[in-house]
Amino acid sequence: MIGRILRDVPRRTLVLLACFFAVLAAVPFIAGDYVLTILILILYFAYTGQAWNILMGFTGYLSLGHALFTGLGAYSAASLFVHFGVAPWLGLLAAIPIAMAVAGLMGFLAFRFRVSGVYFAILTIAFAEFARIGFDHFAWVSGSSGLFLPVAQYAHNDLWRLRGNPMMFYYIILVATALAFLISYLLLRSRTGYFWLAIREDEQAARATGIDTFRYKMMAVMISAGMTSFGGVFYAFYYNNLFPEQVFHIARSIEIILAPMVGGIGTLFGPIVGAFVLETASEGLRVILEAFGIDVPGIKQVFWGFVLLAIVIALPEGVWPWIARRLGLKERGP
Amino acid sequence: MSRKISDTRVSRRTVTAGIGAAALAGVAPFNIGRAQGAPLKVGVLLPRSGTQAGIGQDCQRGVDITVGILKQMKMPDLQIMNADTETNVDVARARAEKLIADGAQLLVGAFDSGQSTAIAQVAEQKGIPYVINIAAAPPITEQGYKFVFRNFPTGPMILRDAFLNQKEIFALVNDQPKTAVMLHVNDTYGMSILGGTKAMFPRFEMPYKIVEEIAYDPAARDLSVEVAKAKATNAEVLIAVSRLNDAILVTREMIKQRWTPKSVLSIGPGWYEDQYLKTLGKNADGPISFVPWYDPNKKATKLLEDALAKAHAGIGLNTNHVYTFEALLVAADAYKRAGSADPKALADAIRATKITDNVSPGPGIQFDAKGQNDQLKCSAIQNRGGKLVTLAPKASANAKPDWPLKRA
Repeated sequence: MIGRILRDVPRRTLVLLACFFAVLAAVPFIAGDYVLTILILILYFAYTGQAWNILMGFTGYLSLGHALFTGLGAYSAASLFVHFGVAPWLGLLAAIPIAMAVAGLMGFLAFRFRVSGVYFAILTIAFAEFARIGFDHFAWVSGSSGLFLPVAQYAHNDLWRLRGNPMMFYYIILVATALAFLISYLLLRSRTGYFWLAIREDEQAARATGIDTFRYKMMAVMISAGMTSFGGVFYAFYYNNLFPEQVFHIARSIEIILAPMVGGIGTLFGPIVGAFVLETASEGLRVILEAFGIDVPGIKQVFWGFVLLAIVIALPEGVWPWIARRLGLKERGP
Repeated sequence: MSRKISDTRVSRRTVTAGIGAAALAGVAPFNIGRAQGAPLKVGVLLPRSGTQAGIGQDCQRGVDITVGILKQMKMPDLQIMNADTETNVDVARARAEKLIADGAQLLVGAFDSGQSTAIAQVAEQKGIPYVINIAAAPPITEQGYKFVFRNFPTGPMILRDAFLNQKEIFALVNDQPKTAVMLHVNDTYGMSILGGTKAMFPRFEMPYKIVEEIAYDPAARDLSVEVAKAKATNAEVLIAVSRLNDAILVTREMIKQRWTPKSVLSIGPGWYEDQYLKTLGKNADGPISFVPWYDPNKKATKLLEDALAKAHAGIGLNTNHVYTFEALLVAADAYKRAGSADPKALADAIRATKITDNVSPGPGIQFDAKGQNDQLKCSAIQNRGGKLVTLAPKASANAKPDWPLKRA
């Protein structure tokens, strides 16, 4: 596998990628907790964006309800931890299959009955809303009152139970983001990846060439959901409280898709670049405004709105393809 | 490396434009610049944009008027460092980290339980005292935190006082209603109140029994069927769990259908809000709300009312202003007694708080071993002539109940 990557990926890209992750790995030793918190957010959105990208970017099916899968992952692992003391890594064994099963049901309904385009997007919203309302009334996970994970002052990091300081969470999400990148890369270069791209470009033509489009779309939605659910587990143990109103809300789903939208849908680096661009730019803007003594609530949303509009007009393919062209980086086509 | 998306599907451009427009449309009005300058640096975290923007900005009014009042109360100055949580747990946590990195010596906020929990973790890890202004989820103060304090009633405390105050009112008017119908929104808040009511109801031996529970969607534009169903039960009182718009709809429908129960007993928002009073005028009179409120007889309340009237004419004093003010009062008082901005000294001073010159009902502000002010009382307030009067608890009352409900 490593040999294949070394053979396929241009050396310049590999060097830049290695430098990038090396810098990120060194950050906790030079930056304070605030920077670390922002980086955790960036990597979280890069990770979940990467997972979402498998469905929309590779297969062409827009999900506006991916908060469903983060929520299912979060609630599965957190409730097992709260009620039975099951460690989150074991909780993943429940969280991922649950998210994949629900994604399978959603995918079956959609793909069996040829639901696509905006109707598929509406279906994903409907599933997320259904989950939100359902969890509001699900007493075992405390319903609308919220599920709280026990928190205490931790003298040391407990990696097995995900109890510890921000640095531990930072490295977990950093590794997860790197793995998500690698998995996406391998999937995209696999036979399955080629079929996804064929479906994305022209589903009828793909079917005509003998691709079992139903099967491969099911694979896309289930893999995407399974990967996203890990993001939910991370979220639950990092924030230690879950409210259906917040976890399954459509605003969460939109947050997940912003990074790949800005970075470049269907690209491997897009979600990572998009998350960095959005978060660092909005934080930077806030720092500048604060320096001038201007306190503007909602500036981030205004900024995001303008950034998105500007990107739609100026960089319709996203930021990463533009950067890649400037840097002379080009991924070998599948 | 980028890939073209089929034109026959939802295009990236369409979705991006939609999200951009939604992001712009969802943003709250601008709110520029606030005064700074004084020794204790207090980071105030409020949801001033996003879905809770209206409430966050209302709490901010409480912050704005507090600095002047503290001067009048001969309290030390506070340097307010504002931060917008954007009604988002992630942002709340990041903002808390930033405030501490910028030198905040104490944190206050954040209206919402989820956001408050995220901030509490940061405060606890950093050893910075955090005073919660508004958040009702009990687990926040059940975590064994040493730096987290809450001067706001928990959900069970609010319900407990709702039942106790109802009994007090029934005794005052010498009337014991035998039946009640519960009309409630089916959102997160409505369902949690319904659940809590069911769990706690048997403990309080209320004179009435709830003959029917009728749920409705908070976004409903017509509640005629629900009100007709409630009327058909012939219940003596209506127990309402509402938001603002549906409270107005229910009232209008009750008038239209000529249904006048003995009283409307509201648990939660809607029926006492400024907009309700302004929209319905004389028809707003009568409903009784059971809420965390203020004691109109306390000296500090007058100061707060005057300051609010001066700074924001036409806005009535409410829960948001009161509990945000008190959170800052706790900070100033602790700073005064600690004589130091050292976080541990401040936390110890907050733990030993005993403020009787406060605004909320009850004996004053003090904290139990868990950091919760368990002595707080909630009030029963009634709409009367476009104003709100307090009926219970007795110690905080400034009017007798107008009973039964009268409609022209």
